[in-house]
Amino acid sequence: MDVEQNDGQTLTSDLQALSVSDPLSNQFSSLNDLCYEASSLQELASRGSWRSILDKVVRARKLSLLQKPHEHLIYLCYNVLALTKLRKYGEASEELDSLEDFDSARYKYETHPEHYPNRSGSMVPFALRWIHAEIPQRLGKRQETLDRLYSLLDFVRTKLKEKESKNMNFCVDRWKKREAFLISSISSHHLSHKEFSVCLALLRQLLNSDPSNPILLSKLGYIQMQLGDLEGSKALFNRVETLMTEGNPGALLDEVQFKNLVNRNKALIYLVGKDYVSAVREYEECIERDPTDVVAINNKALCLMYLRDLSDSIKVLENALERIPTVALNETIVVNLCSMYELAYVNHSDIKRTLSNWIARVAPDDFDSSCTRI
Amino acid sequence: MSATAGSHSLAFRVMRLCRPSFHVENPLQLDPLDLLTGEDIFDDPSAASHLPRLFSRSKASTNKSGEADLTYRNRFELQNPTDAMGIPGFLVLPQSFGRAIYLGETFCSYISINNSSNFEVKDVMIKAEIQTERQRILLLDTSKSPVESIRSGGRYDFIVEHDVKELGAHTLVCTALYNDNDGERKYLPQFFKFIVANPLSVRTKVRTVKDNTFLEACIENHTKSNLYMDQVDFEPAQNWSTTILKADEHYSEINCQTREIFKPPILIRSGGGIYNYLYQLRMSSHGSEQVKVEGSNILGKFQITWRANLGEPGRLQTQHILGSPISHKEIELQLVEVPSKTISGMPFLIHLKLINQTDKEMGPFEVWMSGGNSHEKSITVNGLQKLVLPKVEASGSTDFNLNLIATRLGVQKITGITVFDVRDKKTYDPLPDLEIFVDAD
Repeated sequence: MDVEQNDGQTLTSDLQALSVSDPLSNQFSSLNDLCYEASSLQELASRGSWRSILDKVVRARKLSLLQKPHEHLIYLCYNVLALTKLRKYGEASEELDSLEDFDSARYKYETHPEHYPNRSGSMVPFALRWIHAEIPQRLGKRQETLDRLYSLLDFVRTKLKEKESKNMNFCVDRWKKREAFLISSISSHHLSHKEFSVCLALLRQLLNSDPSNPILLSKLGYIQMQLGDLEGSKALFNRVETLMTEGNPGALLDEVQFKNLVNRNKALIYLVGKDYVSAVREYEECIERDPTDVVAINNKALCLMYLRDLSDSIKVLENALERIPTVALNETIVVNLCSMYELAYVNHSDIKRTLSNWIARVAPDDFDSSCTRI
Repeated sequence: MSATAGSHSLAFRVMRLCRPSFHVENPLQLDPLDLLTGEDIFDDPSAASHLPRLFSRSKASTNKSGEADLTYRNRFELQNPTDAMGIPGFLVLPQSFGRAIYLGETFCSYISINNSSNFEVKDVMIKAEIQTERQRILLLDTSKSPVESIRSGGRYDFIVEHDVKELGAHTLVCTALYNDNDGERKYLPQFFKFIVANPLSVRTKVRTVKDNTFLEACIENHTKSNLYMDQVDFEPAQNWSTTILKADEHYSEINCQTREIFKPPILIRSGGGIYNYLYQLRMSSHGSEQVKVEGSNILGKFQITWRANLGEPGRLQTQHILGSPISHKEIELQLVEVPSKTISGMPFLIHLKLINQTDKEMGPFEVWMSGGNSHEKSITVNGLQKLVLPKVEASGSTDFNLNLIATRLGVQKITGITVFDVRDKKTYDPLPDLEIFVDAD
């Protein structure tokens, strides 16, 4: 962030008081203004080239390419993220250990006036706090992760109160998103341990503050369906459908996405009622509307299996991998396809090996190939 | 017909086809804004207005309108905060054949018979059966209309279902009789084992308080998954009626905004979790004194339906739940009157009635106070310790008084008044304890 502005812009939370900013000297005109070669980091991350990110970080450090304190933090963050994606949790943990406490003065803009003459506040990327909380669980220390996540939630809520009291609406929105993100993240930990009651209690908090969020409502429906409360899930899906007819997604979903969500929810209801034919029909409507709807594709393949059509279920998944690999290649679809191969072929190792070789050529660095069970 | 091991053209493959599950994960997805900026950046309003534009990407990521997005950005970028929940909606097939199955559930399996040889096989008679300790159950039999042929590399698929009603070891026996390429009739048996375990135990307690009978049931979950209690119904026996008693809703539930669309489910934790139910039972026929039946008192039974992942149902019925046994009483001893004031050291009379509830003459009887040495008891018989009563005619009664004296002050018990039938040599249960207040002089 280059803060050498044309005028000594004073920081104020009152937008009115600022003079019209000159677009040419806008400090946020491109990603690279935020951090040295940030767009490259983004590009590599989008491609799943995590190993390249590790190389890039090593190089930047070795050649002292990073001039400012916040850039070191951002590069460290990407480094830790890459190591975690590559399942190198021990190394990720070591990187994090090299940090001081996040709230220390070292990570505040005002401590470095030579770099940030007019800025104050924390330069710690929020993602870094979150990754720091997530790592222990991946090293087998689940309780530590939960403790850190709940503490982080407290931290976020304190910030939220502070910003709300100062009427800093620009901030409030951001911190609210972070709060929702954290609550969702904590729920995922409870969910993967089947602690449904805690999970539902947490998500109800979220729902109370955002009761018309169709994505949230649908996911709650999935959770209820997973634990067996079919009536409960139906009620939630009905609410989502009502929201759609009312025309109110709150800018979360576009028309195609919303319609597909409703169709997929309908398909699930048919599925649990064992009406697989109707479920397939719903999924086909989704795929017709959006040929990259991989959830619909995957679930349709499963329905075909329950309709005794193993051959076609295999074709559906193989076809998706071939047609739209960057969207369809995920561990769940591969697990399902391999289960189908194991059923369909006595000598399934051959066909699985073919799949595995293809994956090795196409997949991103973080793809977990143990899902092929070879 | 050879039942040889050795080269078979055909082979059975099976997959448990219980309901699928949702894929759940702890995703590593982030909002890039939270990666590339300090957390307090939005304190600066100029940042707040410019940054979102920098990071915005079209929501309709790929499809017919735009060019395909050839990146794996969805594995890294968070689209919505709730994506962090890690339940994207993908379903996953059941992962192992031997996964635990419980009594009351339905066993379902996909069975595929493959021809992995280079030649066609003909006239294939396929059978699938379940073998348990007690019986052999036929699930599928194509002998009447055999499969004409299965080509090289071909397959014949079927799905079988069986409601599990026995515990213990079960074997899915798949057999095929076919003509191979040499015209030889071959026999292929294959065996797939699974075990059926007990999912729940139901412990009951019956308590009677005055006219009300209460039934407490504790359901314990022995399975490896949480069980959603879809229906737990107590079906009362003929002459009983039942009401379920529930705790009041917590105030936080009542005021909750999302109450209509979101009720917390009754979920019993896996591996030993419990949940309690309480019922109030009433005898539905009046004047039931005459209708009491000798022997056990059947209250009813439970019908339980639970659901596991994606509503996988299971159903069980308990055995009859018994109340306290009713014995037909031959004699009844009633306390008719007790003086309103009792003074320590001063003898007092209590008025009793002995009723003969049989249709034959009974007696004579002896009445005394049992239990402990007289100096331990605070209320004892004053005078002759044993009182003799004459015979009582059928359905008749006799009144008598017991002369008692209290030796201690305060709340004291009149206990152990026992009736003995001299002729039949039978001692009856003592009169229930009665508490009285003993005053000072």
